[in-house]
Amino acid sequence: MVIDERMPYAPYPSPIGTAVAAPPTRIAASGGGGPWFLASANLGVLIDLLREDGRTVIGPTVVDGAITLAEIRAVDDLPAGIGDDQQPGKYHLVRHGDRRLFDYAVGPTSPKRWTFPPVVAINVGRRDGRAVTFETSSIDPPRLALLGVRACELAALGIQDRVFLGGPYTDEDYRERRRNALVIAVNCTSASSTCFCTSMGTGPEARGGYDLVLTELDEGFVVRAGSPEGADLVARLPVRGADAGQMLRAAEAVGKVAATMGDPLPTAGLHDRLLAQFDSPHWAQIAERCLSCANCTMVCPTCFCSSVTQRSDLDGGVSTSERVWDFCFTAGFAKVAGGSFRSRPRDRYRQWLTHKFATWVDQFGTFGCVGCGRCVTWCPVGIDIRAELLAIAPPLSARPEPARAKPVAATPGSYATARIVSVRPETDDVTTLTIGDVDSAFLAGEFGQFAMVAVPAFPPVPISISRFGRDTIDLTIRAAGPATAAIIGLGPRDEIGVRGPLGTSWPIERAMGHDVVIVTGGIGLAPLRPLLDGIIARRDRFETVRLFYGARTPADQLYREELRAWAARGDVDVQLTVDRGTPGWTGPVGVVTQLFDQATWEGQHALAFVCGPERMMEATVDTLESRGLSPDRIFVTLERHMECGIGLCGHCQTGGLFVCRDGPVFALSQLGGIFGREGM
Amino acid sequence: MSAVAARPRLRVGIVKMASCDGCQLTLLDLEDELLAIAERFEVVEFPEASSSRSAGPYDVLLVEGAVSTPEQAAEIVELRRKAKLLVSIGACASYGGIQALRNWSDHDAIRAAVYAHPEYVESLAAATPVSEHVKVDAELHGCPISPEQLREVLVSVAVGRRPQIREEAVCLECKRSGTVCVMVAEGMSCLGPVTQSGCGALCPTFRRGCFGCFGPREQANTASLARALKTGGCEDEEIARLFAGITGWSGPFRSIAAAYGGPPGVMPFAVPAGTEGGRDDRN
Repeated sequence: MVIDERMPYAPYPSPIGTAVAAPPTRIAASGGGGPWFLASANLGVLIDLLREDGRTVIGPTVVDGAITLAEIRAVDDLPAGIGDDQQPGKYHLVRHGDRRLFDYAVGPTSPKRWTFPPVVAINVGRRDGRAVTFETSSIDPPRLALLGVRACELAALGIQDRVFLGGPYTDEDYRERRRNALVIAVNCTSASSTCFCTSMGTGPEARGGYDLVLTELDEGFVVRAGSPEGADLVARLPVRGADAGQMLRAAEAVGKVAATMGDPLPTAGLHDRLLAQFDSPHWAQIAERCLSCANCTMVCPTCFCSSVTQRSDLDGGVSTSERVWDFCFTAGFAKVAGGSFRSRPRDRYRQWLTHKFATWVDQFGTFGCVGCGRCVTWCPVGIDIRAELLAIAPPLSARPEPARAKPVAATPGSYATARIVSVRPETDDVTTLTIGDVDSAFLAGEFGQFAMVAVPAFPPVPISISRFGRDTIDLTIRAAGPATAAIIGLGPRDEIGVRGPLGTSWPIERAMGHDVVIVTGGIGLAPLRPLLDGIIARRDRFETVRLFYGARTPADQLYREELRAWAARGDVDVQLTVDRGTPGWTGPVGVVTQLFDQATWEGQHALAFVCGPERMMEATVDTLESRGLSPDRIFVTLERHMECGIGLCGHCQTGGLFVCRDGPVFALSQLGGIFGREGM
Repeated sequence: MSAVAARPRLRVGIVKMASCDGCQLTLLDLEDELLAIAERFEVVEFPEASSSRSAGPYDVLLVEGAVSTPEQAAEIVELRRKAKLLVSIGACASYGGIQALRNWSDHDAIRAAVYAHPEYVESLAAATPVSEHVKVDAELHGCPISPEQLREVLVSVAVGRRPQIREEAVCLECKRSGTVCVMVAEGMSCLGPVTQSGCGALCPTFRRGCFGCFGPREQANTASLARALKTGGCEDEEIARLFAGITGWSGPFRSIAAAYGGPPGVMPFAVPAGTEGGRDDRN
């Protein structure tokens, strides 16, 4: 068996032959090499020919409110003028105003039902006294013609070929059924809202793996052959050469379908993106809705799992075994003596989805999904895998974190008056102000956001919010220039102007369920203090939490009492270092990265939050990456000259980003080459 | 084969509690194999077939019906002592059956409303499954049970292995048989996704929704299905009625019936204990 190794989808070479046939001589003589045109009125001739050849024709027909696949005896069995409206969890037939036969999107049944039937006899075991025998069931598949097979279904057949025939062990039942089935494909001229073959690269145009392919026009079909057997059929059909207009209209119809689908599921990097999300809390959210009823797997044209059942007579003398469709959503599927490896629906859903879009690639070299959309339509509760994949493993460009700044109606001049409640010196040059009477927007601010702070006559300065109190905020300010010195010089009951909260925030929600690593230096601890507050308030939602904090000297550490209190909790690992020890300092001396350059954590799933001087952050990022964290799991803040704070003044622009509006919190992966580059 | 057949016949009894006898009659549906069954089993008690009663003991005791009266509550304890294997058969024995609808109501009020002399009627306030009274070795579900599954239990006892009864949704039977989903294609309310298979998807095959007579399957996410039904336009009362059916006293169905206002038409007194919520938090 020749299995084409091309990525991502290798059309299955027809069992009859791999080369497109040369057109039969008399057609070649009269009308060139095709494609050919078959009038609508003559489609019945094709069906009759197939039946005369001893084939059972399996094709689309309306049964119980859906266009499904069943035996077709005549053209009248086909769904003339009938189409469908499909939504997640919904399927309705609709009546078109014409008599087209294939103007529908795929229904609940796929050719899998005939190549990999729901129930197949395996063997009969017999016991007579001490003697046992097993008689393998004979394989005698019917000669079929599968009519109306769509591009996604051809791809699915190709995928199952790889599964059943491409490995060291092959499924002979499948091979024989496949060999005995002639494939007459139809290019899609309509798509449902659940279709996404364009994203999976499988359709809507059939590109191989068929014996014949038809494209339907109002007056008939443009026909191409894909195998000698297909060409032989054409030779027996009342066809003529398709004219240029017909070929153009056929191509346009298929192209239009592709355009209406667009690219609903960007697959670039999907394999890696999905495998990075094994511990996503989203699996549990899906399981809230998932019924684990297995409908998705049964309608899927590539799902290939099965179980073997025995039925024996009363004394166990004769036992018949059958292979039946069974899937990763059922209770018994992963069961061993002692229990199931996937007892929870969240485990089953994760198994299914990661197989389809990631581990299948590792095993078979293609995705396990062809974008037919059946699992979306036929899910009783309408779970849409496209939406779930986008939520679990969003494309890099669409990743929502860090949390976007909420739009605030704040012009660069709109400062609200607030009042200083208390002043607490932290170090020689750093002071924390507690500010009351602030706008309620501040109290709903996010961890990592900042405020523009102004006193008249001085330029406003951006200051990270270092605590969100019940009705106050803290601002921790270093006297770095005249404006900050002026603010620090104020006392309780003095008023100042504040504007915000502004900017992006630490994605604390995303850290839930994961190890948390916080690395900071000097005053960089200030914007991380709300994050620590938030984590400690819901400590049980996070795995290990570690804080690595470096300061110039022991006297330069911020929040010393709180550092002690966090360390005393026992569930936050607080490690401190200083550049220069002073008498009484017994802790380590040196750069912050030495605190964790040997640390271990769930590197694939830990999240790191980093804030400090940019040189310190660069060294930190290098060390974190060497400890297994990927750039999309490392979050840093950038400090730049900011004036407006809302992305209008241009001061803070760095690369394609306004640090004030698009930051200051960034995933390292967002920054690309900006981070640490001289002169940016 | 002769060595196997030479073993002594196993004593099988069928007894009934509060039930319609449909489940025990299923044994007679195994027409082609009745002789083989008789070779392997001695049916010592079978009320629908014979008036003779046995005092036990039983190798296998098939118990039909819900425990509904004080006598039955005492009898089932006594029967358990005499049975090596006790198998509850059917929705009544396994879940309380349709008569468990009375569990939602004030028992005394109902008796007073129905009977001129309620003091002559001895019944328990609740019709309950056999498993609430004694240890049950296996349950066969359904209203009535599936002949194939009954056969499988008898075969497994005879051969000495575990019965192979698939733990899966009715949906698998629909899809294997090629039945188009009544819920997705026709918008019908259907309990198939949360109901144990075994019936061959009988109702959907005849284009109506499953009403859950085989009871909840493992990990039945009834809360999600109920939400989907409601989103699809079902009134709360319809949802409660659907879940409070033949196996409505099973935990996963009862919790939904309670969450959606209880089964309509009963004489309510209070939401039964242990039925708060309606969410399945095991997922």
